Amino acid sequence: MGTSVVVVEAEVVGMVIFGGICFLWLFQRPSRTRNSHRIGILTDYKRRIEKARPCLLPGTVQREMMLMLRDERRVGARLLRKIGDRVNRWYQENGYAFAQVMNFGSLNSKEVVFEVVEGDITKLVIQFHDKLGNVVEGNTQVPIVHREIPKQLRPGHVLNMKAASQAVKNIHSLGLFSNIEIYPRLDEKNEGGVIVEIKLTEADQKSAEVSTEWSIVPGRGGYPSLASFQPGGSVAFEHRNICGLNRSLMGSVTTSNLLSPEDDLSFKFDYVHPYLDGVYNPRNRIFKMSFFNNSKLSPVFTGGPSCEEAVPPISVDRVGLKANITENFTRQSKFTYGLVLEEITTRDENSQISANGLRILPSGGISVDGPPTTLSGTGIDRVAFLQANITRDNTKFVNGAIVGERTIFQVDQGLGIGSKFPLFNRHQLTLTRFIQLKHVEEGSGRPQPPVLVLHGHYGGCVGDLPSYDAFVLGGPYSVRGYTMGELGAARNILELGAEVRIPVKNTQVYAFAEHGNDLGSSKDVKGNPTAVYRRVGHGSSYGLGVKLGQVRAEYAVDHNGGTGALFLRFGERY
Amino acid sequence: MAALQMSREWIGIQQFPPATQSKLLEILGKYKEEDVSSLTVLVMGKGGVGKSSTVNSVIGERAAAVSTFQSEGLRPTLVSRSRSGFTLNIIDTPGLIEGGYVNDQAVNLIKGFLLNKTIDVLLYVDRLDVYRVDDLDRQVVTAITEAFGKEIWMKSALVLSHAQFSPPDGLNYDLFVSRRSDALLKVIRAGAQLKKQDMQGSSIPVILVENSGRCHKNESDEKILPDGTSWIPNLVKTITEISFNGSKPIHVDKKLVEGRNPNERGKRLIPLIFAFQYLLLMKPLVRAIKSDVAKESKPAWELRDSGSASRRT
Repeated sequence: MGTSVVVVEAEVVGMVIFGGICFLWLFQRPSRTRNSHRIGILTDYKRRIEKARPCLLPGTVQREMMLMLRDERRVGARLLRKIGDRVNRWYQENGYAFAQVMNFGSLNSKEVVFEVVEGDITKLVIQFHDKLGNVVEGNTQVPIVHREIPKQLRPGHVLNMKAASQAVKNIHSLGLFSNIEIYPRLDEKNEGGVIVEIKLTEADQKSAEVSTEWSIVPGRGGYPSLASFQPGGSVAFEHRNICGLNRSLMGSVTTSNLLSPEDDLSFKFDYVHPYLDGVYNPRNRIFKMSFFNNSKLSPVFTGGPSCEEAVPPISVDRVGLKANITENFTRQSKFTYGLVLEEITTRDENSQISANGLRILPSGGISVDGPPTTLSGTGIDRVAFLQANITRDNTKFVNGAIVGERTIFQVDQGLGIGSKFPLFNRHQLTLTRFIQLKHVEEGSGRPQPPVLVLHGHYGGCVGDLPSYDAFVLGGPYSVRGYTMGELGAARNILELGAEVRIPVKNTQVYAFAEHGNDLGSSKDVKGNPTAVYRRVGHGSSYGLGVKLGQVRAEYAVDHNGGTGALFLRFGERY
Repeated sequence: MAALQMSREWIGIQQFPPATQSKLLEILGKYKEEDVSSLTVLVMGKGGVGKSSTVNSVIGERAAAVSTFQSEGLRPTLVSRSRSGFTLNIIDTPGLIEGGYVNDQAVNLIKGFLLNKTIDVLLYVDRLDVYRVDDLDRQVVTAITEAFGKEIWMKSALVLSHAQFSPPDGLNYDLFVSRRSDALLKVIRAGAQLKKQDMQGSSIPVILVENSGRCHKNESDEKILPDGTSWIPNLVKTITEISFNGSKPIHVDKKLVEGRNPNERGKRLIPLIFAFQYLLLMKPLVRAIKSDVAKESKPAWELRDSGSASRRT
């Protein structure tokens, strides 16, 4: 197997004068047995050619060769070699590494025959190696590797190195192998055939890690002092590729103070189960279950800029179980849906359970009848709800600048299960558009295009809303220039932002304007924490910045106070 | 009713000049005609505007404590006086502004104090002799509206104290009064978010009062305003007109005191909302993603080689 024949027919003498050369492209599917050197009798040969299959050489190149022939009156060896080189060059440039012109056909007949071995794949072999290179029995089940291989790398297709590198990328994304190599080699048993060998070295299945760290905690006067160095640590383990089907179990327990771990202990256990519909089903749905806890300071209970006294902080501790299914449509777009069960506890700065925020009276005293922190009124809430998230992300990089659009919709649907039977529908819609303002040539080293970013985020809640779940305005990912929660906490919010990014030399300079608004719904959060802690409920900001590698240095002015400040941030805002 | 137990005989009427007394008794007769035996008036406003002084002027005794130089105590006070079967209840309240902000504690205390009472008339008090209105005024109005609902403004009057005031630069007195009251009425309409149809054509009446002992008197020894009107009967008359103006009095029940529960609003619609989100947001987004995947341009090597089977001619 394995030769295709490119036939160029040219009437070399005479026909040129009479109005055009006719070209007949005939394709021959050769039989297994040979290298069809022998042209044979014309009729036999014609029959062979009629049974042939098309070769991959596109019409444009064939026309190019026709033109080359037409310009010559005689078909000499030099011309044939020139055409042959052209055919070879096309195959090499397009990744067909094993394609080669084998022969120029007989010059005696009216036909010129070029035989090309394209490099048809006869066999695909997947092998597992250990670190020393010995062939071993792999733990991974072969079908999950096989489904990552593009169709074009399977028997019946012509070997293309671009398909091979795509296969390497796809297999690598499974995260199961420390080394992936693809070796095509000639098939001895089939003339002109290629065997593709994929050699995989599996990564360690199990890992456990213990790490410790020192965290420096502010002491008296804000300066770190020796007595306040805190050793933290975490223990993590991972068991990957369970049953060879890329299922994994991960767990980690972290404490920020080893000397008294119960102060701040957080844990996370995850089980991931891909190929929910079966390994042979092209649909990629992953089931994930996680058991977690975390503790965060609530930005709902923070003060506005005019609150001279620091507002006593409230921390929100969540312990829960999440079970969901994610369907990955592309590397970026996905749909996740599942169930969440949580127990939420609100605590004050002494870790005591606190059912109300603290409020500072005008007389200077502290009253404990601030806004209620939980739905149940006891400081501990239990709730079960459905959660769904759709992310449609069509962004791509043009010379390093993000261009495209992204839409995210998330909804938490309460089921009436939990403390005080909470029934709610909490939803958020985020729209971000990166509009390329000028067309540029794509390629490495080329300049980035200027981009206009438009962003909108709407959040709303109908039904039972505990304070800790209220939407918070202000912050580096909400309205820049304000601290997190500085503008208020509300039932419905709207955030708008626009940014213009201009490439300058080899960095990026940008200008932005943002606005956040509570749509009047601050009072619809029980206890109105926005008003109690003297926050405005809305605000705008604008500024300029420059991107220095991974860091953004920006100067943002907050319109409510009229003051500006310089910030250094990591990552992207949008 | 608790008020009845606490009410005393309205002896203060007797210290008014006879002309005022007769006018007052005539006005009070209207209540007997309409068979109404009591009236509850709520007096609210910023601190230091003259609420307690106005109450004392109407009652005719020093029933409410006046804090001239410092902020008032935090407690609302109920002053009840009866006369020939009719009881007048006036509730004096602490100023709503404390330290540059609306004092939410005061608002809550007032609401709690008014539990199970019915407000017939609201007197919103401010000074005549102030030139500017600012955001604080709007905040006070908003706080009152949020506490009692915007319907309370249908039963309200704007009381301007320190009415014996000479406007500066020889400005005409009536012109000054109308400018000042227009500015405050505008603030009330904005803060309470009143639309034209809410007021049913009639606007909030403006009453001028002068509580100090220096108040000029006419020949009948009645306290008068610079334009000659005897203001005490005028105040009571306007209050009476408001109480009979057809709008419903505000009954302060438990629900009002605790506030409309925003968690309950729209709860019944939640299944509908979720269905809407599923059908009109989630499903179209998934469909859009799938069409993005279909439309995505494939590389040449993928398109060119569709397999030996299909390459057979």
